[in-house]
Amino acid sequence: MNQTSSNASNMPEASTIIESQVKPATQKKKYSKQNGKGFWKRLSTQKMLLLMALPFVIWLIIFKYIPVAGWTMAFQDYKPQFSVWEQDWVGWKHFKDLFNEPMFYRALENTLGMGILGLVFGTGSAIFFALLLNEMRFMALKKWTQTISYLPHFVSWVIVANIVITMLSPEGVINNILTGIGLIDSPINFMANPDMFWGIVTAADVWKETGWNAIIYLAAMAGVDPQLYEAAKVDGASRWRQMWHITLPSIRSVIIVLLILNIGNLINIGFEKQMLLGNNIVMEKALVIDLYALDYGIGMFRYSFGTAIGIFKSVISVILILICNGIAKRIGEGRVF
Amino acid sequence: MRRKSNLLLLVLIVTLLTFLAACGSDDPSGSDSNDSESTDDNTEVSSDEPVTLTLFNADGEEKEFNDLIAQKITEETGVVLEMDYPVGGNEEAIPLMIASGDYPDLIFAKGDIGKLIEAGAVIKLDDLIEEKGDNLKAMYGDQLDRLRRSIDDPSIYTVGTYGVETAVWEPSGTFQVQLDVLRELGYPEINTLDELEAALTEYMEKYPEIDGQKTIPLSLLGSDWRWLITVGNPAGFAAGLPDDGQWAVDDDTGETTYKFLLPEMKEYFKWLNEMNAKGLLDPESFTQTHDTYISKISSGRVLAVADQNWNFGDADKALIADGKEWRTYAPLPVTLDENYQSQALKDYGFAGGWGIAISSTSEHQEKAFEFLDWMASEEAQILTNWGIEGEHYDIVDGQRVMHEDERERMNSDANYAKDTGVGYYIYPFPQWGNGAVDSSGQSITPNNEEQIIENLNAAEKEVLPEYGLDNWTDWFPQKDELGISKHGSVANYTIESGSDLEIIQQKADDLTEQRITQAILGKPEDFDAAWDAMIKELEAMNIDKANELMTEKTKEIMELWGTME
Repeated sequence: MNQTSSNASNMPEASTIIESQVKPATQKKKYSKQNGKGFWKRLSTQKMLLLMALPFVIWLIIFKYIPVAGWTMAFQDYKPQFSVWEQDWVGWKHFKDLFNEPMFYRALENTLGMGILGLVFGTGSAIFFALLLNEMRFMALKKWTQTISYLPHFVSWVIVANIVITMLSPEGVINNILTGIGLIDSPINFMANPDMFWGIVTAADVWKETGWNAIIYLAAMAGVDPQLYEAAKVDGASRWRQMWHITLPSIRSVIIVLLILNIGNLINIGFEKQMLLGNNIVMEKALVIDLYALDYGIGMFRYSFGTAIGIFKSVISVILILICNGIAKRIGEGRVF
Repeated sequence: MRRKSNLLLLVLIVTLLTFLAACGSDDPSGSDSNDSESTDDNTEVSSDEPVTLTLFNADGEEKEFNDLIAQKITEETGVVLEMDYPVGGNEEAIPLMIASGDYPDLIFAKGDIGKLIEAGAVIKLDDLIEEKGDNLKAMYGDQLDRLRRSIDDPSIYTVGTYGVETAVWEPSGTFQVQLDVLRELGYPEINTLDELEAALTEYMEKYPEIDGQKTIPLSLLGSDWRWLITVGNPAGFAAGLPDDGQWAVDDDTGETTYKFLLPEMKEYFKWLNEMNAKGLLDPESFTQTHDTYISKISSGRVLAVADQNWNFGDADKALIADGKEWRTYAPLPVTLDENYQSQALKDYGFAGGWGIAISSTSEHQEKAFEFLDWMASEEAQILTNWGIEGEHYDIVDGQRVMHEDERERMNSDANYAKDTGVGYYIYPFPQWGNGAVDSSGQSITPNNEEQIIENLNAAEKEVLPEYGLDNWTDWFPQKDELGISKHGSVANYTIESGSDLEIIQQKADDLTEQRITQAILGKPEDFDAAWDAMIKELEAMNIDKANELMTEKTKEIMELWGTME
């Protein structure tokens, strides 16, 4: 088949002959009129696959490519009551406003800070937890632990934030324990200390997502060849040694692919956590880009300004992905593209 | 390469076709609906079929127009309302409406009305009011000017929303102190911050615990937007400022200043800072959630709050349900010192600004206007406020008397208005206001002062006579003393979205909420420095420009309303 298609354009007659041997005559007539016969042929052999892919391609175009036209908003003083042709074009005005705004840099710093902390501790805790679960030999207990550990993933941030705030309040459980065992004399008002905010957000995130994130690593670990462990056991490797020399290296490419994907999303950490856990005292440390875009963009009907922030975020994401992918390529590990 | 581009082409063609198909199917249905509307119109002319008007209510909820009151309204006006509302408090509803050009007949857009006017989506009502708006004219009287939009465009686009004659019978928003504190301390006079502090300290020493839990002298809720309600606004009230949001207005000159620049504000927050240092302020005041706050108050161990009734009303109900009436609160006119007057009873006049507009695309503009005008009539006001005679109230000796069971349900059932329609069609329609009386001299609303006094709880009824009062309002400076505001309230101004004024105010609000909170929680010796640093930051944000712009706005409104001397 391959040969047929590659020769198609050069030797029309020969291919017709071959085709007539393979395909019924009715189809032959249809195809022989085309120039890129090989293409259509391939198309027809893969038509079921293409048909299956088609809805997703259409979805992608409608929801991911066409909306990009909305980026023009960032270069206008967009007013919803006018059509595209009636808008005022203002060039880079909104980007200049954005880059001249000290609050924006604070938001950027907080976003990247909490993003990186979340990435490091989120990935680390998930891998560590997956390793521990993987070593568990008692299947029933393992399943139970796993189920319980990913349940918090399904709890809304609204509830998690309330739990965290209540536990960390001056009259909360944590302070009661700490004063009870004599570690501190007077209760600490955790939520009123801006320096602790990043840590609290990261810890809450780890608590909520570790179990869920561990699932994919656990699946990767399940694919490791048991013979490797058997061989290691014969060589006298302990459980820790097996983890270090067999499990981790075997899932290295999975880790790196996930890491690259997550780094691309570093700047898209959302704002629910920060909005729900934050308060006026810690706002300096809780203001993230999405929160800023909400309050100072959409919240004020400044669609153009909000779009400018969105474009900026996309650019940063693409740069981050390219850098990481480059590094992965350099060290010869699994990469995204 | 060729293969790839061919494939891409194919996909593009398919997508395009899909789109064309979608657009194509849109068109006929669009004209269809137009057709059916115009036929509707024709039948309306020929018969007495009621007209269906669509109403978008920015404060609305899911509700059918089918209760007894609604039926009566249809009978009187020939109008059936189809009520639409923004799903989940959607802020985008009006911009989307504008983008689609698809308007309901009647629109209550609140602060977004300016966008509709700019888009030409609503009609001017001046001529209609002149020709056939007798009820509206009678209702607004000399306050009709307050409906006008601006000096540049002095037309009327909306009617309704708030009552024209309002009266405050339940003061709220200032300091509220537990009744038990008043009783235990022998009913002291509490009018200043110092007196309040002394009372709280004394009670706290006497009862360090209430029902086994630590007593909390003063709790605030400053962790979210309610910072403004329990921290920002009470500061202004203590300094004798009426409620102008984050602004202080000189009602004679129109000079408007960002409130937190004033020395009085510093004085108030310095007091809070000292309260905190002395352990009299709940340490969780700025981190707790609304739920925690409510549950604390409901436990009865919070001696004082600075809050609006609607914000902690749930706790109040819980206390009464638990039989802890002595743990409910008395609103007090507490100010910085004797030189300031609490403005809790201030009459802001008809607020203007917001209201119901008629869309320019409506097929029934006249009918819609007639409906709005009828809603302003005495007949309509009695119907919407009291219900139907014989059904909800009776006339005894010429006086309207609400049925006992209806009254009971009205006071205890939160869904009463929605279920029965009594009281449901008042806001945001044109309304006379709770201070108005009808042609026979009776109160136009069933919730008049006598009713409110009757509904005070047992503990309140015991405390008030000790002070020689009938109602808490008697403790406050009276509304005649305070005069009617010449500019309404800054909180009701429509500020152009994305304007310098809006952006500067937002930044200043964000900053002050944060810096003032930090200053309150800091050491007393650091307070002055922290405050000065905040003022510097505000100046760096160009707060002076915001002051100028806001002053301009106030002056324009006073000129428009004819209240400027």
